[in-house]
Amino acid sequence: MSEGTNFGSGRRRFLHLSAGAGLAATGVFGGLTRANAADAVTLYTWSAGVDTVKRQLAEFQKQGGFAVKYNNLPFAQYREAMVTKFVGQAPIDVLWVSDGWLPEWADAGWVAPIDGYPQLLKYNADVQDFCNQSMHYKGRQYGLTYYTDYMAFLYDADKLSKAGIAAPPASWEELVDQSIKIKKTGLSEYPLMLSMARESWLIEFMSSLVFSNGGRFVDDNGKVVMDDPKQGAVSSLQWVADAVNKHHILSPACVELGELNGFKSVASGNHAFALLPRYRIQALNDPRQSHVAGKIKQSLMPAGPNGSHATVAWMRMHAMSAAAGANPARAANATRLIEAFGGKFDGEYAFQKAMFLESGTAFGVKPLFNDADVRGAYEKYGDFSMFQKQESLARKKDVISRWFGEWDEVNGTAWQSAILGQSTATDALKRSAEKWKSLAKQA
Amino acid sequence: MSSALLAKRLALLVGSVLMLMYVLGPVAWLLSSSLQREADITSIPPHWIPSPPTFSSFKAIIDAGTGAVSTDGNASFVPSTAEYLLPALRNSLIVASAVVVLNLLVSIPAAYAMAKIRYIGRDMSVYFMLATRVIPDIALIVPFFLFVRKLGLLDNLGALIITYLAITIPFSVFMLLSYFESLPDELDKAARVDGCSRVQALIKIFLPLAQPSLVAVILFTFLTSWNEFLFALMFTQTAASQTVPIIVASFTSDFTTSFSFINAAGVVAIVPPVIIAVVFERYIVSGLSAGAVKG
Amino acid sequence: MSASDQRSAMLLLSPMMAVLLAVAVFPVLYSLWTSLFDIKLTRMNNVSFVGLGNYVTTFLDPMFWAAVGRTAWFTVSAVLAIMVIATLMALLLNQEFRGRRILSTALLIPWAIPYVVDGLMWKWIYDSGYGALNGLLLQLGLIKHYLVWLGDTHKTLALICSAFVWKEVPLATILLLVTLKSVSPDLYAAARVDGANVWGRLLHVTLPAMRPGFMLVMIYEAMMAVRHFDLFFILTEGGPADASHVLSWHIYVETFRNLSFGTGAAIAYLLALATFGMSYAIIRLLGKRL
Repeated sequence: MSEGTNFGSGRRRFLHLSAGAGLAATGVFGGLTRANAADAVTLYTWSAGVDTVKRQLAEFQKQGGFAVKYNNLPFAQYREAMVTKFVGQAPIDVLWVSDGWLPEWADAGWVAPIDGYPQLLKYNADVQDFCNQSMHYKGRQYGLTYYTDYMAFLYDADKLSKAGIAAPPASWEELVDQSIKIKKTGLSEYPLMLSMARESWLIEFMSSLVFSNGGRFVDDNGKVVMDDPKQGAVSSLQWVADAVNKHHILSPACVELGELNGFKSVASGNHAFALLPRYRIQALNDPRQSHVAGKIKQSLMPAGPNGSHATVAWMRMHAMSAAAGANPARAANATRLIEAFGGKFDGEYAFQKAMFLESGTAFGVKPLFNDADVRGAYEKYGDFSMFQKQESLARKKDVISRWFGEWDEVNGTAWQSAILGQSTATDALKRSAEKWKSLAKQA
Repeated sequence: MSSALLAKRLALLVGSVLMLMYVLGPVAWLLSSSLQREADITSIPPHWIPSPPTFSSFKAIIDAGTGAVSTDGNASFVPSTAEYLLPALRNSLIVASAVVVLNLLVSIPAAYAMAKIRYIGRDMSVYFMLATRVIPDIALIVPFFLFVRKLGLLDNLGALIITYLAITIPFSVFMLLSYFESLPDELDKAARVDGCSRVQALIKIFLPLAQPSLVAVILFTFLTSWNEFLFALMFTQTAASQTVPIIVASFTSDFTTSFSFINAAGVVAIVPPVIIAVVFERYIVSGLSAGAVKG
Repeated sequence: MSASDQRSAMLLLSPMMAVLLAVAVFPVLYSLWTSLFDIKLTRMNNVSFVGLGNYVTTFLDPMFWAAVGRTAWFTVSAVLAIMVIATLMALLLNQEFRGRRILSTALLIPWAIPYVVDGLMWKWIYDSGYGALNGLLLQLGLIKHYLVWLGDTHKTLALICSAFVWKEVPLATILLLVTLKSVSPDLYAAARVDGANVWGRLLHVTLPAMRPGFMLVMIYEAMMAVRHFDLFFILTEGGPADASHVLSWHIYVETFRNLSFGTGAAIAYLLALATFGMSYAIIRLLGKRL
């Protein structure tokens, strides 16, 4: 038996085996997970209210006649994952889009304008003004809102009364005084909870601080004012840095505290004051999720010197992918889905209402404010008139632009370094301003 | 000599205790946290031993896995993606097993050739192989994504299998190569004098001797595939193909969370790989006996 | 070496080459190609050739050099720590004693844990509000009240490094142990005859014989440390205030947050060249031949 012969047959056998294995592998797995590609509409969301979405989808599919392939991703990774999918041209029909990403995605040609669909545009009349503004970019509309909310100022009424404080602070100065008083009674080591970790929420926290201090990052003409000491941004950042380093009412760990863990911390009863998205009130007053259920109340955002009780509001919407928009059949299906979830379904703003009742998330459509169920549900844990009052004072973020993502990185770092005492507030915001200017120039 | 023996025993004991504490301490805390109630888990200072211990977090995982969709959204502060944890375990298992098998089929012959045959281009092939791994994975995401999409394998376990195969082969070969080199050439020559071909020599002689190294490769390949996060995040879209790390990561960035649940999910996520590791332990560490190779 | 040997070698190599060429080479070349263009992920159809322009921009960017510094610190510290701890553990496990099976089984557990779970676990331990680290130190009387850990920029990188080392040590230990086991007992016997005590045997027989193992571990762990991403993603996202903004995070930010694909690819390639150079240097220093 010569080596050559053995060798040859061995090689053939080996190649056959591996080729066969390879083919088998792709065949076996290829069949496993493919949904019916024919007329399934692909929906992408982040994982908020997943149960609600699923239920509404079940209803919709029963009546709609076409299948919906529903995918959700963690919110923290949503933008990056969707960018990869857009670049890789993965099939997407309808997706959730957050206001901050719209310019970027619209300019990249990834989402399609919905101006050509009057059946969608007719709902705009019911929508809050700042929502309408956020759904538009360069004069065209890109989606229907299903969720909007704002940054609320919350306080623990129990701790305040125990410390002998009659009413929540109306200004940031007053907040410092009250916090020091509470700290002295030993009720809380760091009476204020502020989440300053690098994540998508950071810009919302920063904006509410800046707006209530009467400041802006960028004015209405696009001029950069964030580093102007006469405007409120510098003083608001300085206030935060002082809260940590001078008054010790805010923990230095705030730079590692994300919104979710901040919420948990408040729910554990560690703080007297907090800045949190308003929808958190529901969970904070739920005895199953919170130690301080029933004690958390909302009051107007404290005002800075020369400031007001303004706060920041954000908007999320259902949008259509450009690929779907280019194909009439897909576009038709997509519009029906968007209408059902961003507009009315069966004559009602069913999805928005369901989200509110189940997750406490607010809506952009004004008629729902008059809905008895909505009001009744809210009164169980919150003050409805306060809800409305603060919302009327909310404004949309002024930094939304195509380069927002890139600028946000630098701005977030700058704020953190000022809070950590590594840089002054003025220098930090100067860096942010420089970055904005250089990015705007490239546009 | 007994005092020296005593000193040695003592050193061994101290060393063992320190090592156990270092290796198992954090995991013990993970386990302890998973058995605590949400209220206790955030206490200051922490309760080291759960009292009372509760299996409610684990129960929540299983409940979620049986697919019961809660109609009352208020009731659960269990992450909404919890129901995908058990299917993700299945996906991870399929992927990891497939990669191990394919990897061995490919790596063993290559390592043997590189170790024992002085062929033209040998050094180049080793460097080439290593060179495919010097690019950080993040830079490879978009091209890999395009490649996978062209093959039509998006949201398909096949995409992960191919990718993990590519990323585990170089180091597997390198590990086997190092070990094969330490095996004497005489064995090989002796076998071939007896009439074996190269391939037969490989299978009959070298593989049995290379057991510890083989097991290390199996473990390495399995665990790398099981633990990989970045590519799985980008390539998978639905629960049909998402693996365990993705699901666990989704728990923390969800809008509701419970710390004890996350810890419980962590424990569940590590059970299969730990079992695999324990099963194979005897082949690596205890199965090694000095001098068997040289003898 | 005969022609049939060459054929055998080619045959044995062919499956590996097939997989690598098909799957790994295309992305690698594609990345190199894209690094020569000004590409934004938002306008993939409108790209311009800039040659080495992206590389120049990168070299001129102070953030890049800051990231290089942090990565270097992280890598060196990690490799040193892993080498020391793994060597000690391998020497321990090389001894015969009762209960060794328990130890070696326990050893594998950190390795078996996915980085995601590892990150969450350490994040939980390091938590400034509820963490076990704070709790332990407080109860041992070493600190008076809870300290800030990950949020303290002086500690951030070191803490992430510790979490990384913890998970890498098992594999390193095993690789070193495998090398240890291949040391012939005759060498020890000869050394004892020559009058060497425990330390002498260690220094003159054991450690030198472990050289191939050291090389393997150093290369692998250095490569892993330099490119490591998962822990940075889970624990700190490059913060706070960029304290943990290392090269791999920088690439991620460039590519996926700033959507600048070209510069991201360029940085990645620089990192790749450095990694390759590092491996080559280690091989030349420690290995007699590959």
